[in-house]
Parts: sequence; C-alpha cells; structure tokens
Amino acid sequence: MAARQPRFNQHVLIDTTPLPDDIPKVKEIGASSAPLMSASFFIGARCKPYNDDYMMCKTESNGRGELECMKEGRKVTRCAASVIEDINKHCLTEFRRHWECLENNNQQLWNCRSVERPLNKCIFDNLKLEKTVPGTPEGEVPVHLRKKQIFAMHG
Amino acid sequence: MPQDMPPVGGYEPVQYKRNLPVRGFRPSVYLLATGLLMTYGFYKAGKGIREHNELAREKMWSRIHLIPVLQAEEDRDQVRRYLADKAREKELLGSETKVYNSDRFVRPTYAVTPDKETK
Repeated sequence: MAARQPRFNQHVLIDTTPLPDDIPKVKEIGASSAPLMSASFFIGARCKPYNDDYMMCKTESNGRGELECMKEGRKVTRCAASVIEDINKHCLTEFRRHWECLENNNQQLWNCRSVERPLNKCIFDNLKLEKTVPGTPEGEVPVHLRKKQIFAMHG
Repeated sequence: MPQDMPPVGGYEPVQYKRNLPVRGFRPSVYLLATGLLMTYGFYKAGKGIREHNELAREKMWSRIHLIPVLQAEEDRDQVRRYLADKAREKELLGSETKVYNSDRFVRPTYAVTPDKETK
C-alpha cells in the first residue's frame, strides 16, 4: 500500500480565463472521436484548402504557429463545424447509425461498411461531398467501396 | 557317404525384397498438392495484406483530415492560457519577464493556478 495519499489536483489546474476580446470568438467543434472519424473524409473534402493553409502556416511560422496562425485555425474550425452541421441537418439518422457502429466496433471502419454506404450516398446526394482515399493504387476498387471486407466480423 | 545335395528342382528363391504394401499416391502427387495448397494460401494472404494496407491508408487519411481541427482547438487553448498567464504576471509583478531566449511559443511546464476559479 502506498505510504502517501495520492493527491489529484487537476481540478485546480483549470484556468478558465477566456481569450481577450480582441481575438474573435469561435465555437469549438464539440464532437467526440467517433462522430469526427465518421465525418473526417467529408471534412477533408470540403475543408482541404483551409486545412492545408493552416498546416502550412504552422510549418512556416517557425515555432510561433500557436500565436500567429489563430486566424487560419479559426477558419479550420468553422469549416469543420459547418460540415458537421450540414451532415446533422441532412443525414442525421445515417450519420448517427455510422458513428454508433464505430463506437461499438473499436472505431474500425471496415466493420461498419453496411452503415457507411447509406451515409456516403446521402452525403453525396445532399452535400456533394465524396469520400476518397488519396493514394489508392490505380485500377483497384477503393477499399471503402468493396463488396466484401476480408477482415470484417460482420457487415 | 552320400553328400548333402541341393534338393531336386533347386532351392526356393530367397526373398530379399521387402514385401510392404504401397499406401497412398506417388510422391509427386503429394508435392503437387502441397504446392497447390501453398499457392492458394499465399494468394489469400497476399490479398489480405493488400487489403490491410488499404485499410491502414484509409485510417491514416481519416486522421490526417482531422489533425488541423484538433490542432487548432488545442492551439487556441494554449494561447488562451498563455495570454491569461501573461496578464496575471503583469497584474502581480507589474512587468513582463522574458523567460526564454527565443520568440518561439513554449508550452508551459508548470501551470499557475489562479487564486479562485475565474468562472
């Protein structure tokens, strides 16, 4: 038995001071990992310019990216939030079904293809965002479109 | 005295060959069958490895698409804390001390806790 009582003082480390008023406010994404993973390819499809811009800004600002790339960062967050909002508006049932499947399957995408297909279709029909995996070899069916998933335990 | 002579009609042939029944097929058949089985197995394994690579690529890209969002949120939080620290320092000491000899943003090692929670 430990001789010293553990002392958890994380609760006093919370600094809730808000950002100064001269920095524009932005609402954080507020989604947990499974919905984000489910929406990731659509976020990538719509927000690629903003994302690239932000990452380039971070690379080029030589260690001061946290302070200097806030504007780009806000754009990134707003864009991703807009994607999630649109998905919620148009494809909420499919979206929810997919990310709940991801939660129940250790976030393994290949175990959730049967619910992913309707989601991709709905989003393509309504938002015109398509899931593509960059770098897939030519002349091969992309893995998320294959009928049979070798490693899938179900679905 | 009569000598021992071979029997009439000669001796029986000596059985020097083993008389074991032949079981199974010819060895070449087994070689061929093993070869076929192995080929099939390697074919399936190869398929699996290819699919695994593609799944890994998919997972990696799903993360790559998310990194800017997560990083932006984290950076904003860090900047908020940094500015709060600076303001606090200004209020308490009346001056701003430069700790590091560089302009880079340094993630703080120690967290200064405010007297009372500011919310």
